[in-house]
Amino acid sequence: MSIATRPLALTINGQQHGPIEVPVELMMLDYLHEYANLTGTRFGCGQGMCRACTVIVDQDDGSSHEMRTCITGAHYFNGRRIRTVEGHAQRDEDGEVLALAPIQQSFLEHYSFQCSYCAPGFVNAATVLIERLQREPVARDQLEDTISDALNDHICRCTGYVRYLAAVRDTILSTPGLVKEA
Amino acid sequence: MLADFDPSRRQFLKTSMVAGVGVYVANLGSPAFAALFEEGILAPTDAAWDAEAARMRFRLDGVSKVTGAKVFARDIRARDMPHWPDRQSHAFILRTTRCDRTYEGFDLARLEAEDLLPDRVVTAQDLERDGIVVPEFYGPDLLLATGQTPSYLGYPVAILIYHDFARYSIAKNRLKFKQDVIRYGQETGYPQRDPYGTFRYIRVGNDDAYQPDVYSALQETVLTPDYRKRHPIWPEALRSGSDAETAMYHAGRIEEQLASPPEGWVVFEREYYSQYTDHFAMEADNSNCWYDRSSGAMHVVCGTQSPAELASWMPELLAKSRFASKRFFLHPAYTVGYGSKDASVFPYYGLVAALYADGHPVRLANDRYEQFQATMKRHPFSMRHRIAVERDSGKFQIFKLVLDANGGGRANYSNSVAFVGATAAQGIYYFPSSDLTAQANYSRMPEAGSYRGYGTLQTMSATEMMIDELAAELGIDPIELRLRNLLKAGMKNTQGAIPAGASRAGEVLHRARRHPLWTEREQRKQAYEAAHPGKRYGVGFGCVQKDFGHGAEGVFSEVELTPEGRIRLRNIGAEMGTGYATGQAAVCAAWLGRAADEIGTAETEWSDMQMESSGNPYIMAQDEQDRLARNPRWTPLLMQASSASNSAYYFSFPTIEAARIIFRHGLWPAALEYWSRGIGGGQAAPYVVREQEARWVDGKLTASGMEPLSLEFLARRAHEMGGVTAAMAHAFNRWAWATAEYEIDGQRENLPLDGLALKYGAGADSQKRRSMTSPRGYHLLDRANVHYPPTQRNNAGVTYYSACGTLVALAVDTGSGEVEVLDHHTILECGNPIVPELVSGQLQGGVAMGIGHALFEDMPLYEDGPGNGTWNINRYRIPRAKDVAVWRQTSEILPPLSDSDPHKGMAEVVMIPVIPAIANGVAHAIGHRFTRLPITPDKILEVL
Ligand code: FES
Ligand code: FES
Repeated sequence: MSIATRPLALTINGQQHGPIEVPVELMMLDYLHEYANLTGTRFGCGQGMCRACTVIVDQDDGSSHEMRTCITGAHYFNGRRIRTVEGHAQRDEDGEVLALAPIQQSFLEHYSFQCSYCAPGFVNAATVLIERLQREPVARDQLEDTISDALNDHICRCTGYVRYLAAVRDTILSTPGLVKEA
Repeated sequence: MLADFDPSRRQFLKTSMVAGVGVYVANLGSPAFAALFEEGILAPTDAAWDAEAARMRFRLDGVSKVTGAKVFARDIRARDMPHWPDRQSHAFILRTTRCDRTYEGFDLARLEAEDLLPDRVVTAQDLERDGIVVPEFYGPDLLLATGQTPSYLGYPVAILIYHDFARYSIAKNRLKFKQDVIRYGQETGYPQRDPYGTFRYIRVGNDDAYQPDVYSALQETVLTPDYRKRHPIWPEALRSGSDAETAMYHAGRIEEQLASPPEGWVVFEREYYSQYTDHFAMEADNSNCWYDRSSGAMHVVCGTQSPAELASWMPELLAKSRFASKRFFLHPAYTVGYGSKDASVFPYYGLVAALYADGHPVRLANDRYEQFQATMKRHPFSMRHRIAVERDSGKFQIFKLVLDANGGGRANYSNSVAFVGATAAQGIYYFPSSDLTAQANYSRMPEAGSYRGYGTLQTMSATEMMIDELAAELGIDPIELRLRNLLKAGMKNTQGAIPAGASRAGEVLHRARRHPLWTEREQRKQAYEAAHPGKRYGVGFGCVQKDFGHGAEGVFSEVELTPEGRIRLRNIGAEMGTGYATGQAAVCAAWLGRAADEIGTAETEWSDMQMESSGNPYIMAQDEQDRLARNPRWTPLLMQASSASNSAYYFSFPTIEAARIIFRHGLWPAALEYWSRGIGGGQAAPYVVREQEARWVDGKLTASGMEPLSLEFLARRAHEMGGVTAAMAHAFNRWAWATAEYEIDGQRENLPLDGLALKYGAGADSQKRRSMTSPRGYHLLDRANVHYPPTQRNNAGVTYYSACGTLVALAVDTGSGEVEVLDHHTILECGNPIVPELVSGQLQGGVAMGIGHALFEDMPLYEDGPGNGTWNINRYRIPRAKDVAVWRQTSEILPPLSDSDPHKGMAEVVMIPVIPAIANGVAHAIGHRFTRLPITPDKILEVL
């Protein structure tokens, strides 16, 4: 008996991938790793609990949301547009980083991560939060709670979260239009 | 591409021959490694180093890490390795989940039906036939043979190899959690074994604590008994017997005093339990190995805290086997472990899989269930603490501890975890007499090994919980009681050794005592409870001091200054996420005015030094050491692993010494020459210009008002003048540094190094130039009058400490039993932080891990525990942001005594005091003292 496959085509970081035959039971994380050689999206638990495998799904209405690729089949993403951690910085033709996205720069300057295994998930979660606040700004006095709510499901074993969350707060406060005064 | 690639010549450094196998290591940061990855991992130092502020703006690996570049071994596939074949095979391990029956093979019928049988299966028979033997350190065979009873839960029996990913992943899913794959035979009962080891430290101090002890481990001996029926046999107690017999005499006296204490003494006794926990390093164990059958070369990519071990034991394993491997390539990647990747048996399974993968690179990568099942854990400790105290003064008199450390079924560092735990148990206190027994036991639990805190977390947490209770019993403020019993500078620890330098735990206590969380705790309790019905508020405190280092540290480091003023650095330490590479770069600034530009980590290639090692540094006899030290290239230990908070102090040590030698014999003479130019001795003549007055300011060197000179200028001049421009150094520490004399530029210097090689600039005289004959062009110096710390110092247990205290405010929900950490403040002493942001990041992360230990993390030990292969974080709670008072928490680092304070290790101590602080805070909140961790809602509801 051979392995059942189906064609998969999607857009990752603005680039068309596929159509390519992939097994029907393949998880998206395995697609990213083994077929697309995008390994920045990390495997932590395989259970949907740690969020190291989070990517951003872009909707046609301009909104974005997080999805866990360890528990979502690759074929769910057929025809969709996603962003992974590799897609945030500006790069030259050779892929060299020219400029980090603001949230990446902020994580860097705050010494937010240590081993960085969780960093891709935090970059994506913070990006989705910032994009949400662009549509729906938050009152200043609710900012910290909003950040904790948005990032709480992301596990980091190294850092104790302080420098991640502080970096997100700084980025939000220094980006016009994300916070409305009470 | 493959055909013309000869890695041994093109890109790799041959480090040595191990058992006839050439060993090559390509490290991160080296050109060879950069070629293997799409981007170099480290950012240019010019961007990161702020010369004006003399600080790092960000970690050198930060850009790579935050953009998801391939920094972990886990990210590497065969196609990422330029000289490997592209096709990647994948493997997983079958494991047994019972220890009461014999193992009788496995059944893959389930896979056969779907055409998912592996391309290759490796079993004990293969290993037996091919002479593959696990390094002795790791105990029993890698794979269990049929007919035997597994000695622990999760014992591997077979490696299944697939030459394509799809079939591998589907097959692995099909077998997951299935109970009918492994076949078991007759019932045998659970295996029994002798303990791994027992250690007893007895000390009787002099009436004057500063005078020599009556008896101590350092002066006399540590007891390490044999066993009869799995119980230790202690020597006879004799007042004037052998050292061991005298120890037992003193132990008897101590016991008598505890049993019938003198008038005015009170004896407290409590039993504590510290649980079984998982490191939960986010990068689970993995390796990618390729055995190139055509050339007999083995290539290993993996994350490890102990690259030197792999570079020596793996080629040994290959050399003894039937596989005619002549060359061995190791690629140690950046990783994370908290101890779990130190002396881990895991990489050997990856190595073995590659031997049977039909010439394909094979990736062995644990999923999280496998990681819980198979990777080292924290040792569960059962402890019985007894403390005798003089009631009126509150002065401690005797400390007696008996602890059992459960080491699980495969030997690892259980012995040292047990005795390190015992020797740390005194915490920050002085005890006139003590008797500490630590035993590491075998059990069928998946093995326990090195884990941040390393035994001390267990014992010191218990001690701090006991001190708090004791203070309440005596009616003394808990911080006051601590202050009265403080181990002060010059006093001895429970092994009879005097800790290094000043003791600053007292300052930590004083600061905690003044902190509003502490001074206002009763008012805050009343206010909080009034505002939050159903919740009870409490504040707790804990304070500990933790050793850093292993008691045997061997370190190589190399610093080289180019004529353009760029600094190249190589060191043995591995990047575990702590910012090691960044910190190493930064320590150069003290002598060279700026951070290093090129950093090589996890370097194991030091053949220029021609150093060799033999004997066991921990247990060798003095006369053996004396005899071996006659060989001028001998050292007790070549390279230590990256663990035990050893990088900041020990691994930086030879880096700083090398930089200092370059300064003293390269840059300083160049500066003096410039400042003395011109008539009458130039600008230097009117002033007195001394080396001690040299200062780097804004990246330029000045002294006594001399014109500041750039590193670029000085480097060029040092090269032109033939000064020392590079130094390669080896240092050894056994709770003190080895020293030796070297002749540099005609001057004899006594240095804390046991090996040294130098390079001179182009302007050096011909004699100097002729001396630079090593492969990298070094002049290998001959040491004289080497002095190694006496072997008896092994009994010191510990001499280097960092102190740390944490205050915690928490609320207990009387309805749910949940404990909410509301706020915490940590006070840390760590000498001179190298990169303060990295220190505070370690602190915040350590506290979070400590909160997990105190409140959440726990597993059953045996059949219901992780060994059964069904554990993951759905039932193992890791602290999240909301669990750690992320917005409220604060910390402070004691200012160093001066800018010459050492860079102390601190990554472990920071996770400990929060644990007893939480237990003590819960006691303040609800009046109940828990002695078994973690303090979970059901335990709380039970007592409420
Ligand atoms: S790996 Fe997907 S949530 Fe943990
Ligand atoms: S930085 Fe290591 S897990 Fe988050």
